[in-house]
Amino acid sequence: MFKNYFKIAVRNLWKTKGYSFLNIAGLAIGIACAGLIFLWVEDEVTYDQYYSNNKNIYKVKNSQTYDGTTFVFDATPGPLAQSMKADIPGIKTTARTTWGNRVLFSLDDKTIYEQGLYVDSGFFSIFHFRFLKGNAANPFPQLHSLVVTSDMAEKFFGTTDIVGKTLKVNNEQDYVITAVIKDLPENASFNKVHWFSPFRIYGENNQWLQEWGNNGIITYVQTEDNTNSNSINKKLVGYVKSRNKEANSEMSIYPNSRWRLYDSFDKNGAEKEGRIRYVKLFSLIAWIILIIACINFMNLATARSEQRAREVGVRKVLGAVKSKLIFQFLAESLIMTFISALVAVVIMYFTLPAFNNLVEKHLSLNLLAPLHIISLLVIVLISGLLAGSYPAFYLSSFNPVMVLKKLKLKNGAGAGFIRKSLVVIQFSVSVILIICTVIIYQQIRHTKDRDLGFNKNNLVFMSLQGKLKDNFTPIKNELLQSGIAENASLSSSDELQYGSNSGDFSWDGKDPGKQLLVSMVFVSPEHLSTAGMKLKEGRDFYPNAAADSNNVIINETLAKAMKTKNVIGSIISWGDEGKYTVVGVVKDFIYNNVYTDPAPLIFFCNPGYANYLSIRFRPDSDIRTALSGMESIIKKYNPGYPVEYNFVDDVFDMYFKGETLVGKLAAVFAVLAIIISCLGLFGLSAFTAENRIKEIGIRKVLGASTGGLATLLSKDFIRMVFISCIIAFPIAWWVMHSWLQDFEYRVAISWWIFFGAGLLALLIALVTVSFQAVKAAIANPVKSLRME
Amino acid sequence: MIKITNLEKIYRTEEVETVALNKLSIEVKGGEFVAVMGPSGCGKSTLLNILGLLDDPDAGSFVFNGIEVAKFNERKRADLRKHNIGFVFQSFNLIDELTVFENVELPLIYTGVKSADRKKRVEEVLDKVQIMHRRNHYPQQLSGGQQQRVAVARAVVNSPKLILADEPTGNLDSSNGNEVMQMLTDLNEQGTTIVMVTHSEHDARYSHRIIRMLDGQTVLENIMV
Repeated sequence: MFKNYFKIAVRNLWKTKGYSFLNIAGLAIGIACAGLIFLWVEDEVTYDQYYSNNKNIYKVKNSQTYDGTTFVFDATPGPLAQSMKADIPGIKTTARTTWGNRVLFSLDDKTIYEQGLYVDSGFFSIFHFRFLKGNAANPFPQLHSLVVTSDMAEKFFGTTDIVGKTLKVNNEQDYVITAVIKDLPENASFNKVHWFSPFRIYGENNQWLQEWGNNGIITYVQTEDNTNSNSINKKLVGYVKSRNKEANSEMSIYPNSRWRLYDSFDKNGAEKEGRIRYVKLFSLIAWIILIIACINFMNLATARSEQRAREVGVRKVLGAVKSKLIFQFLAESLIMTFISALVAVVIMYFTLPAFNNLVEKHLSLNLLAPLHIISLLVIVLISGLLAGSYPAFYLSSFNPVMVLKKLKLKNGAGAGFIRKSLVVIQFSVSVILIICTVIIYQQIRHTKDRDLGFNKNNLVFMSLQGKLKDNFTPIKNELLQSGIAENASLSSSDELQYGSNSGDFSWDGKDPGKQLLVSMVFVSPEHLSTAGMKLKEGRDFYPNAAADSNNVIINETLAKAMKTKNVIGSIISWGDEGKYTVVGVVKDFIYNNVYTDPAPLIFFCNPGYANYLSIRFRPDSDIRTALSGMESIIKKYNPGYPVEYNFVDDVFDMYFKGETLVGKLAAVFAVLAIIISCLGLFGLSAFTAENRIKEIGIRKVLGASTGGLATLLSKDFIRMVFISCIIAFPIAWWVMHSWLQDFEYRVAISWWIFFGAGLLALLIALVTVSFQAVKAAIANPVKSLRME
Repeated sequence: MIKITNLEKIYRTEEVETVALNKLSIEVKGGEFVAVMGPSGCGKSTLLNILGLLDDPDAGSFVFNGIEVAKFNERKRADLRKHNIGFVFQSFNLIDELTVFENVELPLIYTGVKSADRKKRVEEVLDKVQIMHRRNHYPQQLSGGQQQRVAVARAVVNSPKLILADEPTGNLDSSNGNEVMQMLTDLNEQGTTIVMVTHSEHDARYSHRIIRMLDGQTVLENIMV
């Protein structure tokens, strides 16, 4: 029986090659697109499954509330790890780590910066790395131990058999390699980390971490099996406060399963959707694209129903019941979908590199992997049944008496309406996607063009390695004298990421009940002028840093928050650290979050805390010569260290990665949706023209013009696009309106985008349809009339 | 074999009500060859559809082989039909996508005959209608007479008790037409009951009895000698 269906299906496919091509092409594009998206989704949702016990892994989250707003972050006090393990039952291991350290390693004349972490040895019990060499149970047998990835081992030694060998760190201290671990897969935490060393080394250089009031490191927790995280979190309420009364920190443990896709918190400190939003959104779009492709199949299959009607009639006469016919047509659509899936796999193989480039991953399709093959079959099954369902029920319901007598099938009203509705759905989706793409790009453009309040161009920064800080003055002088740079300065953080903050500031007239979180930056006197920030009131720091060591410059936002008449000259106290006089107010500039207004900020004139060197090139200078000049000057004063730097505008562009990805994908989806819809529309218009060939012939004989006939045939489709627009506009507006709510700094939605998207859809539909319409209209009427 | 009593069938559209069968009563005995004649619109096709269990009557009784089938649902009718009734149409109604062999095989597939058995029976019947040499051709590659022979082969491959023929020679020239009529006569002689709708007095003479219809009723019966 199935053999018979298969034969009919294949022969039908072959007989109507044109329609089959449209169907298979549409479905294959849809399946390939969905397949690529699902590969991406798989990669996202399997994040960190590399760590076998990831169900027991947690990170400690710190929440601080200032003036009704709660901030949730990863920084925790140094003593927490050891203390909570001792105090709270159910905790198996804890470990402290740093945020990531870029350290210079050298072996003979090889000197390379590598990213790594200082960790407690418990870290290796929490995260199960695959040890290639060395003892996993005791990875740090001595203070200057070094665990490296095989990638880093190969880079320096060309082999992984290197336990016992040494690498020099920062041109000072020899570290002994005690273990080599396998490289981490891309979708695992720490995949950018290449070495681990004992936390003690870091802790000894950063004694401030020993205080409960200072939050400076990350704490990881491994719980015992069958321990409820709630019971641990209950014990953590007030835990830090009981050790330091002034601390404004509440700790809680946060499960590994949420790190990648959530790890985002609203103003009340409640978890909200992070990356999972995109995972959900893209999965939804994958299904929508599949549905659009299935609609093509439904429309073309039912449109061509008269050709199949006689077969249905004969089969019924010969004893086929409706259910058997439904089964036959479903089988046919499954065969068609299966062929499409094979084509889709080929498409995926060819487009995967481009897609990987787009999403910046290394995804691969593995047809031997059970998950991939099963997913593909599920997609085939679902789309096959979806695409086949309506045609199957429609075709199998034909009355054999009617079709065999060649009576007019009463499919005009009902089926025609459904077909039109389906086309309307396709075009609505296309129009929505066009509008979303344009608005997303507008928002990115809008934010990129935002006046930052400083000049991000021709500005580089680098972290202070070796003797850079000590030799700052001669370096700066030489950069200026050689004409390479306009200015140079030191600061505790780079221009875009002013990291540290404190709630411990007060001034005259401040409400003692309210704490305000203020960002702190420690700079050399030239910093504001180097960055190109503008003063609103007062003065910049004096060139001699010591003269301003008790003075600060604040930003406009803080000046407003202080609510004093004369900000210049007013005193700000920072806990017990001291009192500072405000000498200047800098115009607000954007930092940390490009989408919001800046938070309050204080510049301290204290280059001693600096971590970064910023250099402003002359605007007229040739960047390549300026860079090589800069490199040679820096090398001269800081030998033994490779020169690594970043352009501020490059880093700035990276902030838009997430949004740019969404924008690019939306554009790709929009184009695909339109292509698939047009394939369907093309087939449908061909069918309409074919069906009305006699009518066209008669009209032509009676004197209708080619233009008039083309209009007649296109009119219906144009109306469908209009209806699609009416449906799409409010949906698109609502979707984009809610998306934009995430950005305080956002573009206004303008009406012309809707108008433009509608016009574009109309034009595309018109071009698609008019081809068939004109073809039918210019045909010789004598031929078409003789056919009857 | 067939006994219909006071059969009624009315077609309704929004404006018009057409009485196709008006309290029609007919009996056909097993082994009979009956021709139904009458002008267009007299209800003979409706009669044939009801006899073929393709359509159901609005009122009246239809006893087939001793069973009352007037109220059968689609599934039951399909079941009865595929085991007992073969059809021959004026326009042949072969499936274009299937070969001669596959077209004839189709009824056997629906009655669940095993593959090897199917092959034997299809070849037998193709042999009988002398079309075996074209078993792998598609319908469009055959002449009208050949197509109708395939259609007859398909109608009898299941060895039905009843064959319903709807103007079987309507699309054929006279020599092909005679050949098909001879085939039906042979089948009848082997015991198959045949009811044939026709416009042709010539064809009707092959039957035992002619039922003449007008306005949904029988007006005359001729017994052939």
